[in-house]
Amino acid sequence: MSGHTEHSAPTGGYEPKIMAFVCNWCTYAGADLAGTSRMEYRPNVRIIKLPCTGRIDPLFIIKAFENGADGVLVSGCHPGDCHYTTGNYHARRRWIGFKHLMEFAGIDMRRLHFSWVSASEAIKWVDLINKVTDEIKALGPFMEYKGLKATEAEQG
Amino acid sequence: MADKILKKADLGKLIESVTGKGGRFVAPTTDSRQIVFKKVKSAEEIATDYILARNSFKEFLFPQTEVVAEFTLGKDTVDMRGVEVHAPQTVIFGARPCEAASLKGMHALFTWDFIDEFYTKREDNTVVVTVGCTKADDACFCTTVNLSPASTEGADVYLREAGESYTVEAITDKGKKFVEAHAAVFGSGSVKADPLVMPEKIANIDLAKVSERLKDKTHYDDKVWPKLTRKCIGCGACTFVCPTCRCFDIVDEGTAFEGERRKNWDSCQYDTFTLHASGHNPREHQHQRWRNRFMCKFNFFPEKFSGKGCVGCGRCVRVCPVRLDITEVMEEFSK
Amino acid sequence: MEKTLRLKAKELLESGEVKVVIGYGWNRSKTRTTPVFITDPADVDTLVWNPLCVNNLSLYLTRKYKEIKALGRPAIVAKGCDIRNIVVLITEGQFKREDVFIIGMTCNGTVYKQDLWKGELTPNIMPTKCHNCDVRNPHVTDFVVGEKSTFTPPEVPTGMVYDKVKDLDSKSQSERWAFWVKEFSRCVKCYACRQVCPLCYCERCITEKNMPQWIETSAHPRGNLSWNLTRAMHLVGRCTFCGECERSCPVNIPLNLINQKMIGVVKEAFDFKSGYDEKTHPPMIVFSPDDKENFIK
Ligand code: SF4
Ligand code: SF4
Ligand code: SF4
Ligand code: SF4
Ligand code: SF4
Ligand code: FES
Repeated sequence: MSGHTEHSAPTGGYEPKIMAFVCNWCTYAGADLAGTSRMEYRPNVRIIKLPCTGRIDPLFIIKAFENGADGVLVSGCHPGDCHYTTGNYHARRRWIGFKHLMEFAGIDMRRLHFSWVSASEAIKWVDLINKVTDEIKALGPFMEYKGLKATEAEQG
Repeated sequence: MADKILKKADLGKLIESVTGKGGRFVAPTTDSRQIVFKKVKSAEEIATDYILARNSFKEFLFPQTEVVAEFTLGKDTVDMRGVEVHAPQTVIFGARPCEAASLKGMHALFTWDFIDEFYTKREDNTVVVTVGCTKADDACFCTTVNLSPASTEGADVYLREAGESYTVEAITDKGKKFVEAHAAVFGSGSVKADPLVMPEKIANIDLAKVSERLKDKTHYDDKVWPKLTRKCIGCGACTFVCPTCRCFDIVDEGTAFEGERRKNWDSCQYDTFTLHASGHNPREHQHQRWRNRFMCKFNFFPEKFSGKGCVGCGRCVRVCPVRLDITEVMEEFSK
Repeated sequence: MEKTLRLKAKELLESGEVKVVIGYGWNRSKTRTTPVFITDPADVDTLVWNPLCVNNLSLYLTRKYKEIKALGRPAIVAKGCDIRNIVVLITEGQFKREDVFIIGMTCNGTVYKQDLWKGELTPNIMPTKCHNCDVRNPHVTDFVVGEKSTFTPPEVPTGMVYDKVKDLDSKSQSERWAFWVKEFSRCVKCYACRQVCPLCYCERCITEKNMPQWIETSAHPRGNLSWNLTRAMHLVGRCTFCGECERSCPVNIPLNLINQKMIGVVKEAFDFKSGYDEKTHPPMIVFSPDDKENFIK
């Protein structure tokens, strides 16, 4: 990714970059199942696997936008199913705060998605990725965030 | 005899004359309920009723963050490229005599064992126009450090309020050239300058005594440091607004593939300033960091560079969230 | 009030019940208050109490202040709102209730910034928190100084901060973005907001972690945004709206807006207000299986 230099919108066939932070036990397994079942879906998502949604620090999301992501998806086990019993309950609290904070800061919430996808929900995963990708593609590149440094140059 | 004057009504013309030639015109203006030095485009933006801007104008010579190099990382390679110094022609208008006096020391530091072109090139292209003060507050203490609203040290051009005009005195060659270059804007006439304000010298402070006492390093572990400065929260705000604080940090920012090297303001009030990689910190406590700032102002810096370490602008006193007043420490060290 | 305060301080120091009294004193010209640390009973007359006593001294109880801790058991002069921060510190296990002697001051409000003081406390120079204060009679104390306040806060919180939050909420997403980018772009990354916050007691803040570098230390709009958002996030469910961060910000960034917004979110989502009960866990370290949200798909 080259978020540090990209200041102008790309031309031609634009493909969004989407970061997915997923837990190892459910969503990653679900995505894996989609893969082994040879389901086809949009190739725009880069998956980062973490032990549990409880490990997903909101900073990861900010960092992803900073480094040029056009959208971010966060996903893990359904409530009650967390491998570590309560990780996703903690995560959910944090997301409630974080989502409102991002909204208040003026981040376009169509670029930030949260979901629960279990190990058996390959179809849900595929549908989700397709839907999220299409939505973000329609929005175009996240120029507001990418443009942040350009704002600085003008002040000098 | 007719003197050189600048009519306040002609300020707009001066700005046009400077920006027309591609320069930037920096002056105190109102931003977010504060008076700050900023680039201005018209005379209306310039604040008229102010004591000092919140920030010192140092950021136009020494920005709080600037790219000094760029790099690209290959598999086994690092490609490092220098960048051009961004040094536009700049006029700093409406600076105060105290803060201008910081420039000598700044120059000495940035040309000491290495010529820092990021500073010197900007300095070459900057003209500092000071305006003698007609107002002061209880944080101003220029007179206590042997300066005053009448000082011209560091100024290229010195102005004084004179009703609807300013009296104009070109101090340096650069200042003379500036006045000549914009001769059409300056006029002549005979006006009477408004009286300058003279902040009262703080009675119990003896600057010579302060530096004398600091020379004797046995004060290092003196209980007076924690006593006076334990309340300091180490926020560093004082160093950021100070016209003579000049410490910076070099950081690399970027991704695994490319990035830039930046020169960012740093502050001796931060605990990470002296933190060693081993985890040891020679200045473990906040009072030691504060002692450093005080020593820097009244001992290390004047001794090494014979420049002024503190110009008495009082910004640190005004900005401090716990109202730690440097003059109260000066008083203690005058005993 | 000052007399009672000084007497109590003297008594505490003389009896050895506490070793230091953290309170407010005058600066040299008696125009501003400044924190003082009294260890000698003979110095108690240094203590003052007036509407200029804005600082939230509970900051000095945190683990960052090792030297102050080394002085011994402290007594602290605290307004109700400051005590809310002490309560949060206790709920977060920073120290125990009995580790500190709280001298609670009944309060009629303070100034927003000391520079605004013209000799009289008028509503327009008081911060929003004071207009809505429900702790003018301090709620967790060992000793109370002052007459009971009869003030009742308005049913629905009012004031500048609430109005502005509402106003921002009603704006479009891109207008909010433009607003915050403009505000944060002024940030000089001095971290005064963090240093002054009693709840930012981490000995190594996330901004100082550079392997990897989570938050760019450069003061440019991108680095500033991640700093300000991260700090706001770390204060969710904890911030008491004491306003110290905004007061200390040298470039006037309206940090109260973002903090108050999140206080509202926490109230709405978890029915929690921080700093009232030292026995309840802060919301972000616990959870409920019944937490409601409608955005997780
Ligand atoms: S502004 Fe005050 S509290 Fe902050 S570092 Fe400077 S002296 Fe310390
Ligand atoms: S919020 Fe309440 S206790 Fe705090 S200063 Fe205002 S009136 Fe006093
Ligand atoms: S106090 Fe203000 S300027 Fe300093 S880091 Fe915090 S938000 Fe930025
Ligand atoms: S911003 Fe976060 S990491 Fe930094 S001191 Fe505050 S709570 Fe700790
Ligand atoms: S974030 Fe600000 S208002 Fe909240 S507790 Fe910390 S200093 Fe006080
Ligand atoms: S392991 Fe999947 S959310 Fe905790």
